[in-house]
Amino acid sequence: MEKNPLEPRPLPPSLRANRVPVGSPLYNDMVEFMYDEAELFDTLRLRDWIAMVAKDIEYTVPLRHTRATRDQDKSVVRTVQHMYDDYRSIMLRVMRVMDTRSAWGEDPPSRTKHMVSNIRVYRTDKEDEFKVHSYLLMTRNRFDHDKFDLIPCERHDVIRKTESGYQLARREVIIDQAVLGTPNLGIFL
Amino acid sequence: MHQHAETTLRDGTTISDLINHETREVKVRALSDPELYELEMERIFAKTWIFLGHETEIPNKGDFVTRDMGSDAVIVARDRDNEIHVSLNVCPHRAMRVQTHDAGNTNVHMCIYHGWAFKPNGDFIGAPIEKECMHGKMTPKDQLGLKKARVALYGGLIFATWNIDGPSLEEFFGDAKYYFDTLFLRTKGGLEVLGPPQRFRINANWKTACEQSAADGFHTLTLHRWLGEVGPYAKKPDAEGKGADLSPEMYGSEVWTDHGHALRCIELDRKIVRLTGKDPAELTPAEKLTVLPPPGITPAMVPELLERFDDGQLKLMSWRPPQVGGFFPNGLFEFIYLPQPDGTIIGACALHAYIPKGPDKLEFMNWIFAEKDTPPELKARMLRQSVQMLGTSGMVEMEDSDTWPHQTEVAKGAMSKTITMKYQALFENGAPEGWPGPGHVGDGFTKDDTQWAWWKYWHELMTSEK
Ligand code: FES
Ligand SMILES: [Fe+2]
Repeated sequence: MEKNPLEPRPLPPSLRANRVPVGSPLYNDMVEFMYDEAELFDTLRLRDWIAMVAKDIEYTVPLRHTRATRDQDKSVVRTVQHMYDDYRSIMLRVMRVMDTRSAWGEDPPSRTKHMVSNIRVYRTDKEDEFKVHSYLLMTRNRFDHDKFDLIPCERHDVIRKTESGYQLARREVIIDQAVLGTPNLGIFL
Repeated sequence: MHQHAETTLRDGTTISDLINHETREVKVRALSDPELYELEMERIFAKTWIFLGHETEIPNKGDFVTRDMGSDAVIVARDRDNEIHVSLNVCPHRAMRVQTHDAGNTNVHMCIYHGWAFKPNGDFIGAPIEKECMHGKMTPKDQLGLKKARVALYGGLIFATWNIDGPSLEEFFGDAKYYFDTLFLRTKGGLEVLGPPQRFRINANWKTACEQSAADGFHTLTLHRWLGEVGPYAKKPDAEGKGADLSPEMYGSEVWTDHGHALRCIELDRKIVRLTGKDPAELTPAEKLTVLPPPGITPAMVPELLERFDDGQLKLMSWRPPQVGGFFPNGLFEFIYLPQPDGTIIGACALHAYIPKGPDKLEFMNWIFAEKDTPPELKARMLRQSVQMLGTSGMVEMEDSDTWPHQTEVAKGAMSKTITMKYQALFENGAPEGWPGPGHVGDGFTKDDTQWAWWKYWHELMTSEK
């Protein structure tokens, strides 16, 4: 099918033949990247997180559609998405929360846990870029609510090796819900 | 036309006890009461015209989407003759939901429970084992179809109502139509959705979102203050001085109608001065529209606008175009002009529907649009801009969706439910000189009249029965 100009550039494939073995040094680097990132999100160190983000990042969260089994290719929608960010808009999100006293949607901030699991790492056709596929189960709690919003999803990331360390170069987060059970995405997934 | 049907709630309160027309107050209880919710579904959502989507979501014969009209699930489908139909998504056999997908294409909607089948227009096709008469003997086949709503299309927008003999959509729009035309009928090609709607749930009563959509302008100054601190409306400290005051952005005119539709027509003069350095009073509408065309329109498309609209509408579009407002009961439009870091201005066009899902829950649906003729790169920029500012991850709207649950929750207190919400900031000056359009109009800084009109019509419907 021909590419829709409204959709972001596609991710490299996750080819089984290119899997990086679990436990290898490269695999461990990726796991540590994921864990460090989760900690920065959950402790509100968004400025430190920005340092791990590449300037050419695309950060997208497609919509889900409930479709028949034979139409599963249509169950992920990449034109209108829940989130469709570039570096500039990510910076604006961070500045909003860190540099103003009026980002009420996250002030007081949500209490979150980014639980990352099922991490698989693949080599891509670029030597310095790795595809990382993981599951993310996120809990989000606000105010005095006894309940958590649960956001179950999977991430398809591209992590780039640079002179100053690894950087997030691309992220697509595919959420399980067709209708999100959280009142906004004022948090990063 | 309406017959009085004052309903007494379980504790002896009547609906009219909740609203004080002289002092323009509404009891906070209205924002959470489950008894009222039931009545609203019958008296508002089963009676008025409800916005369901856009025809470009279902471009091909057999295409369908599933939607909600208040508490009722419906199928919106295009038949073989290209007609759009809206039918209750409930099987007349034993009440299974007939269509369980969000969208798709089919000429036969088959109920998976026992296999009854229906056309896109809701007609009954047949039941399995015809010879054993599974469809029964009592009700004739032509009465076994899905219940059909009355459908009207306007600028490709799909509306439906269960009030089969009631007012037309045009009558329901009333004076708002003059203004809606400048948003939805701009080009021959018309608007198109850039994708399916975003959907997410908020633990709030539907009216918290909808009365705000009736053009609450005051909240922007505080709730969206960040826009002036580091966001698109932040001033350049060297040229314009510091400060996050958004009030200059709130000048213009407001329009409201007897059916609760509301429009905030925000002045473009400041932006035109910024872009041209000229006095807007010295520019013709055509010149102004060329330097600052409406969202999704390029200067090359402006001649088409000049052909399609009369002088009054062109004046409006180039001076104080409607940018934010609501259509009663549960729709919101945003056709906004967003300044970019490079000094240009990009438009965003979005429609929301706030679907009631119980006294404490609503579903937020957000459709993003452009003109079909908008050039592809501009469409792509508008899409990104809209997603970043509006809807699920929208940096503007996430503050709104975080406010409504608090209103809904506190409205339950024994004491708090008896206090009132106040709509007492009034326009006292009428329309500005040279205002071209109809309706009730106020001039200057935002006021409460638009939201009060919303509550007045809510009250009228809640105390009326056909
Ligand atoms: S409930 Fe639909 S066929 Fe029986
Ligand atoms: Fe708002």
